[in-house]
Amino acid sequence: MATADTAATTSGSLAEFDRTTSRWGQATMGAALLLSLAAPIYLVLTTDLGITAGMIWTAYLAVAAAFFVLWFVEPITYYPVLGPAAMYQAFMIGNIANKLLPSALVAQATIGAKAGTKRGEFSALMAICGAAMVHVLSMIFFVGILGTWLVSIIPTDIVDVARLYIFPSIIGAVLVQLIVTMRQPRVTVIAVVVAVLVLFVLVPAVPALAKPATGVVVLITAVLAWFLRSRGKTAAPTTLVN
Amino acid sequence: METALTPEGQSTDILAVANLPVLWILAIGVFAAIIVQSLVYMRAARKAGPAADITEEELTRSFRAGAIAAIGPSLAVVLVSVALLTLFGTPAVLVRIGLVGSAATESASASLAAGTMGAELGGPDYTQAVFVVAFMAMSLSGAGWMLATLILTPVLRRGDTKLRSVNPALMAIVPAAALIGAFASLGIGELGKTPVHILSVLVSAATMGLCMILASKTSAGWLREWGLGISIIVGLFAAYLAHTNGMTPTA
Repeated sequence: MATADTAATTSGSLAEFDRTTSRWGQATMGAALLLSLAAPIYLVLTTDLGITAGMIWTAYLAVAAAFFVLWFVEPITYYPVLGPAAMYQAFMIGNIANKLLPSALVAQATIGAKAGTKRGEFSALMAICGAAMVHVLSMIFFVGILGTWLVSIIPTDIVDVARLYIFPSIIGAVLVQLIVTMRQPRVTVIAVVVAVLVLFVLVPAVPALAKPATGVVVLITAVLAWFLRSRGKTAAPTTLVN
Repeated sequence: METALTPEGQSTDILAVANLPVLWILAIGVFAAIIVQSLVYMRAARKAGPAADITEEELTRSFRAGAIAAIGPSLAVVLVSVALLTLFGTPAVLVRIGLVGSAATESASASLAAGTMGAELGGPDYTQAVFVVAFMAMSLSGAGWMLATLILTPVLRRGDTKLRSVNPALMAIVPAAALIGAFASLGIGELGKTPVHILSVLVSAATMGLCMILASKTSAGWLREWGLGISIIVGLFAAYLAHTNGMTPTA
């Protein structure tokens, strides 16, 4: 831009920043999306396991029924905190609430930048880059190399037991963590009651509901939580899983 | 079990398919996309820094502060990821748990998908075919978040007030209900399995409860990030003791 006007130059280079980050943000996220889908598709197509499209659709529907609300809600919730450029980083690097947001806040505090300003946005973006580098290196080294080696030397009977009980060991902790951080006792009670009724009363009576049971619980809980909400005060915004 | 599966599909040697070289290459590709993105972003930030009223030195300090703050949480994710390696193999764990998603959403997706195949994650019926279907379902679910981000970010940036002015009560209650509903259903579902499953759920839940109490009552705030990893290890340890001491449920 061939202008001597400082204001115009300033907005010019910010516009260029926005253009660069959104173009590259979309391109890199799109590439990661395709690469991450390519892995299971490769397995389905090249291995002779007898997997049918019907099995994949059934599994996908069960998962989608449980999570589709969050696909849209999480990006909308995080946008005001992250800003457009960092959105493309955050939903690719993952672990937003437990790693990226704290990193961004620490960086803003370090240089005394306020969230919501351009200084704050740039500081958060650099912090997320720093967090991404640390994360990528520690995943490649500690999980990719050391972890793979560790698993290969652990006795198989321990591995078998670990494999069998890892999911219950995750889900108990995740549920408690969610309930404590959300502080929504009313929603919690509704969810637990609905889950017990659906899993131990409805599903035994109507076995066809076994596969979409979690989706059914999510739907009924959401509807009940909405109609039974306490109308006095507005609840605090939600902390999310990713 | 579904009859369409071939004998290979019913093999329980998950790692034979989960650690194939092609999957490693694709996983490294995802890491490369993140590194390229960070490099481009950092260059763009340095170029536009003066316009954003931020100095080169402040940008560097922000990068360093973010990197240091991420060490603890990253290692906590490493611990959880290593615990999941035997279930999904290294490439799937690196991409799904380490990056895009989180241990909570991805293992939940995998468990739901395995359930539709009449199998249980890590159980005797957790075959190669079940793994591949679970991996596919996790990846498609993760794609949901990425697609929503790709579609919604430009919309939100245009300042579409319609999306932002969604009823705040709705935005507070529905996501919370969807999340707690999904995980309550999965957690309570585990209680319908064997005594060792029930024990694992309860021990891990109690451990997390303890971590959360200690994190808020003492100065041990780090327990918030490490809580999940610690709970998994303690839960697995309890399961191992119970399993090897006769509580084995094999009927």
